Amino acid sequence: MWTATIETERLGKRYGRTTALTDCTLRIPAGRIVGLVGPNGAGKSTLLGLTCGLIAPTSGSIAVLGNRPAAGAAQLARVGFVAQDAPVYSGLSVADHLRLGARLNPRWDMPLAQRRIKQLGLNPAQKAGRLSGGQRAQLALTVAAAKRAELLILDEPVAALDPLARGAFLRDLLDFVAELGVSVVLSSHLLGDLERVCDHLIVLAAARVQLAGDVADLLAVHYRVTGTRADLPAGAEIVHAEHNARASTAIVRSTGPIPGAEHADLEDIGLAYMTRTTEPLEAQR
Amino acid sequence: MIWLTLRQFRTQAVAALAALTALAIYLVILGYQIRHAYTTDIVGCAPASCTSARHDFAEAYELQVTLIGAVLLGVPALIGVFWGAPLVTREFEEKTDRLIWNQSITRTRWLAVKLTLLTVISMTVTGLYSLLLTWSASRYDQLIGDRFGALTFASRNITPIGYAAFAFLLGTVIGLLVRRTLPAMALALALFTMIQILMPTALRQHLMPPVTSSVQLDAEAISRADFMGFDESGARIDGYTMPGAWSLTSSSQVLHADGTPFTTEQAEQCRQSDQQARMECTAKQNLHFSYTYQPADRYWRFQWIELSAFLGLTMLLTGFGFWRIRARH
Repeated sequence: MWTATIETERLGKRYGRTTALTDCTLRIPAGRIVGLVGPNGAGKSTLLGLTCGLIAPTSGSIAVLGNRPAAGAAQLARVGFVAQDAPVYSGLSVADHLRLGARLNPRWDMPLAQRRIKQLGLNPAQKAGRLSGGQRAQLALTVAAAKRAELLILDEPVAALDPLARGAFLRDLLDFVAELGVSVVLSSHLLGDLERVCDHLIVLAAARVQLAGDVADLLAVHYRVTGTRADLPAGAEIVHAEHNARASTAIVRSTGPIPGAEHADLEDIGLAYMTRTTEPLEAQR
Repeated sequence: MIWLTLRQFRTQAVAALAALTALAIYLVILGYQIRHAYTTDIVGCAPASCTSARHDFAEAYELQVTLIGAVLLGVPALIGVFWGAPLVTREFEEKTDRLIWNQSITRTRWLAVKLTLLTVISMTVTGLYSLLLTWSASRYDQLIGDRFGALTFASRNITPIGYAAFAFLLGTVIGLLVRRTLPAMALALALFTMIQILMPTALRQHLMPPVTSSVQLDAEAISRADFMGFDESGARIDGYTMPGAWSLTSSSQVLHADGTPFTTEQAEQCRQSDQQARMECTAKQNLHFSYTYQPADRYWRFQWIELSAFLGLTMLLTGFGFWRIRARH
C-alpha cells in the first residue's frame, strides 16, 4: 500500500482551555481530492494548520506523506499551502511573488507560474495589494502550485469569491490538479462548493471528525428514508432525522439495502453529520 | 531569501540612506567649522584671552554637539522600533507568515537570514554615524568634552554599534512575543529608553571597580574643583575632577594628614586678601581629600566592555528568538 497522504492518530489541539480539535484519527489515501467541510469554528483551519506544520499538536500524532509536518526544508517542499484569505505581500508585485517562489523552492516551475499568470490576465507589475480578492486567491494558488508539491492544501479557497467566480475557480483547480497529479485537501463551510470536485470527504463539527471516507463509499451506504420508519434492517443507524407535522425524513447509514428508500446525496449526508452535533441526543432518537 | 529580505527592507533602507546622508553632510560641515575655529581661535589665541576664547568656543558649539549626540543616541532606538519590532509582527498581522513559512525554507533559516543581514546593516549605519560624529566633534571633545559623560560616552566611538545590534534584536524579540506591531514598537521604545537611562546613571560605573585615592589639596586641585566651602564638620571640596577621569564623588571632606577635619578656625589663619598667597598658605597645611573615580586611561576599556556586554545581550536575545520561532502555536 502507498504511503497515506495524511495519517493521524488521536490528534488533538487545545488553545488554553479551548479545544480546537480532539480525537482525530484519519487515513487519507494518496491521489485524492479531499473535501473538508464543517461549520465555522469546527476545527478545519486547525486540522489544516497541523497538516502543513504551521501549528503543533497538543496530543496524538500526525504524518503527512509519511513524515512529521514541516520537519525540514525537504518536507516543506512537498506540501503546498494556501491559508484562509489567501495572504500575499501587498507591497510586492505579482512578478515579485513568482521570484520569491523561485528563490525559496527547489522544484519551482516557472513556466507553469508564468503561464497561469498570463491565463488569469494578471499584470506582473501590479502590486499584490491592489488585486481583487479573486485575483489574490489565484496568485496565492499559483505560488503554491508552481512549488510542485505532492500535496496541495487550500483553506477556504473560495470563501472570498462570488458564486460565479467560485465555479470558475474550482473548475480551473480541477484541470490544474489533473495536470499536476497532486493530492489536494480543500476546506469549505459549504458542502455545495466541494461536492462536484472532491472524491473523499471529511466532515468536521464541534472539534471532532464526524465522517470520513471516499465519496463513492459514502454514497453507497447512506439512504434517505421518508415517512414512517418501522422496519429498518439490522445494523442500520439513523444519522439524523427531521420531523415536521406531516412526515419525518431521516438520513440512515446501512450496509445492506433498505427497501423503498433512495440513496442520499452528498449534501444531505454532510448536512446530517454536521447538524446532529448541534442538537441534543434526545432529538436523534 | 537574501533577495526577499532586501526587497522587503527597501523602503526602510531608502529612508535610512536619506537620513544618514543628510546627517553626514551636516556632520562634515560641522566638523570643518569646529576644526577651523579650533585652529584660529584656540591654538592661536593671545595668552591673555585664551580663557575667554575657550569659553566662546564652548558656547558656540555646545548645543550643536549635544543635540547631534542625542540624535545618535536615538538611532538605535529608531532601529529597534522601526526595523526590529515590525520584522515579524508585520508578517503576523498580514498573515504572510502562513505564506512564507510554507515555502521550502525552515523558519530558523528565514529568521537567521533576516537577523544576520539586518543586524549587520543596523550596526553599519550606526557605526558610520558614530564614526562621523566622533571625527566631527573630536576637537570639541578634546578641549571641552567630558568623555565619560552620559551623552558623550554613549554617542562616540564603538559603543553605539553594540546598542544598534541590541536594539534591533530587542525589537524583533518583543515583536515575536507581542505579535502586534504598535504595542511591540511602544514596548521596544520604552524598554530601550529605560536601559539607556539606567546604563549611565546606575550600571556603567560598576563595569570596573573604581579607584579611590587621596588627593593632595594644592593650587592645581583647587583649580580643578567647582567650589570649596565649609559646613559644621569642616571644609569640603565640591566637583573636583581629575583630567579625563570619571568622578564618582561630587563632594568630599578636606582632611589633615592625620585624618582630622580642616576646620573654619584653621582656615582663618590663611585668610589673606591676595588669592595667590591664600592658596599657597592653604596648600602648606598638607591637606588632602578622598576621591573616587574611574581613571582616564580606562576609557577604551569601558568602550570595549560596554560594546561586548551589549553584543552579549544581543546573542542571548538571538538565541531566545530562535527558540521562540520554533514554537508552533
